[in-house]
Amino acid sequence: MAKLRKYLVVTRISLQNVIAYRSSALGGLLFYSLFIFVFFNLWRAIYKGGEVTGYSLTQMIWYLCITELVVFGCRSGVYNQMNDDVKSGSIAYQLNRPYHYVMFQFFNALGNMVFNLVIYGILAIILGLIMAGPIPGFSFASLPFALISVFLGIIINFFFMITLGLTAFRLEENFAFYLIYQKLVFMLGMFIPVEFLPKWLQSIALYLPFSYVAWAPARLVVAFSWDLFWQVIPVQLVWALVSILMSLGMYSYGVKGIQAHGG
Amino acid sequence: MHKHVVRAMNVFRLIGLYFKVNLASALEYRASFLLQAFGMALNNCSFVFFWYIAFSQIGGRIGGYDFNDVMFIWALCSSAFGASHILFANMNSITRIIVSGELDTFLLQPKDVLVSLLCSKTSLTAWGDFLYGFILMALTHGGDAQAWSMFLLGIAIGGLLMTAISVTAHTMTFYLGDASLIGSMALEFVINFCIYPEGIYRGVVRVLMLSVIPASFIVHIPLKLARHFSPGLLLLLLTVSAAYCCFAYVFFYRGLKRYESGNLIIARM
Repeated sequence: MAKLRKYLVVTRISLQNVIAYRSSALGGLLFYSLFIFVFFNLWRAIYKGGEVTGYSLTQMIWYLCITELVVFGCRSGVYNQMNDDVKSGSIAYQLNRPYHYVMFQFFNALGNMVFNLVIYGILAIILGLIMAGPIPGFSFASLPFALISVFLGIIINFFFMITLGLTAFRLEENFAFYLIYQKLVFMLGMFIPVEFLPKWLQSIALYLPFSYVAWAPARLVVAFSWDLFWQVIPVQLVWALVSILMSLGMYSYGVKGIQAHGG
Repeated sequence: MHKHVVRAMNVFRLIGLYFKVNLASALEYRASFLLQAFGMALNNCSFVFFWYIAFSQIGGRIGGYDFNDVMFIWALCSSAFGASHILFANMNSITRIIVSGELDTFLLQPKDVLVSLLCSKTSLTAWGDFLYGFILMALTHGGDAQAWSMFLLGIAIGGLLMTAISVTAHTMTFYLGDASLIGSMALEFVINFCIYPEGIYRGVVRVLMLSVIPASFIVHIPLKLARHFSPGLLLLLLTVSAAYCCFAYVFFYRGLKRYESGNLIIARM
């Protein structure tokens, strides 16, 4: 409990920090609005061209609001932070501090993510209502269950980002891996719902973690069903666990290779 | 007239020299260079997939564009962005350079300040963007000479327009004190209007795309010319683009008069 308390203090401080510098979120909010506006126009044009299976236009706009909220709104900069810490060597100063480096990064980013989730969440609701109106058949009773999926999506994304950032321990240049991961998340859920993919790709995507970052939570918000809930939550739990273990494994593997030369 | 031609030649020679030095520097780290360029090209490929899915959902056209039209604007936008960032990557750092006082170093140089400032840095990932456009064009347009000629001309025009947008936005720092937010967002903002069919937008947005946000001049008008060539439209494209770039150039030098040195002492390696 005492261990957790110190990490919660880290979260509280980072939350206070991000609230103090709240104006820096303005750029992100503008871009979020721009993306939703552009995609609203795009999908409106697509729906004008013909029927799209599985989603109505209203559901599609809300789907985008949620996927952008999960991926865009909860950006924590942790990949860049870890990359910089490892490449610049400043990670050496953090090794002898009384916390686990990976856990510190998580709880430090948590403050930022909570703040983002609130302000981007409010913006998502406003934009969704203005552009698409209420979600047909939406029930507030199912929202807490969908939020569990949102939370797990954020965890999966966050710890994969940490793992990628920590590859800098062993690789000279790891930016390409970051781009590939990011685009897999975009293409297997964030921009395109899994239902739109060709059948052969759908069956592969459902075994991979990328769709569980954005697709699963967004689908549960716009078209909740208990069948889907029990289908995706166990898989999300497994991938969350895998991502956490991978980040911890990558950290302990990388730390063994550190050579400190004073300074 | 002769004086202006000589001056223009000097500017091109300076850009060429900066390019050679920057490329030599990038090639010192070949593995990193290739990995970053490859990563960016792969990154861009994912959008082809998005459009493939979108078109396969409905078939036909989206916002008046077919699949090949979308690939043309993507290829052009990517290569123009790549070209501008290979040659003028420092455009993204103008605000930081002004605010930190590093601009003093460029003021002391015997060449055009804006050109020296823009050219003194290159981007490795921009090579991936640049080459990606050519690959995409080769795959989707094969030997279509009209499309290729508008693509090549569009790279020059689009690259200069993108640079002008960035310069204009960062120049606001001379007036506002710190325009880093506007500077970092301006180009991305415009690009968002370049990579989707023009027809998905209506009314005011379409007017903005032909004025404040010159997205139409970067990709959409070159596409129209590639499909149905019209000398009048080409003349309009060249005139407006030149006017936009001249405005950015003059705006920067007007702003520069407001700059006050902080006497920062630095050395450029």
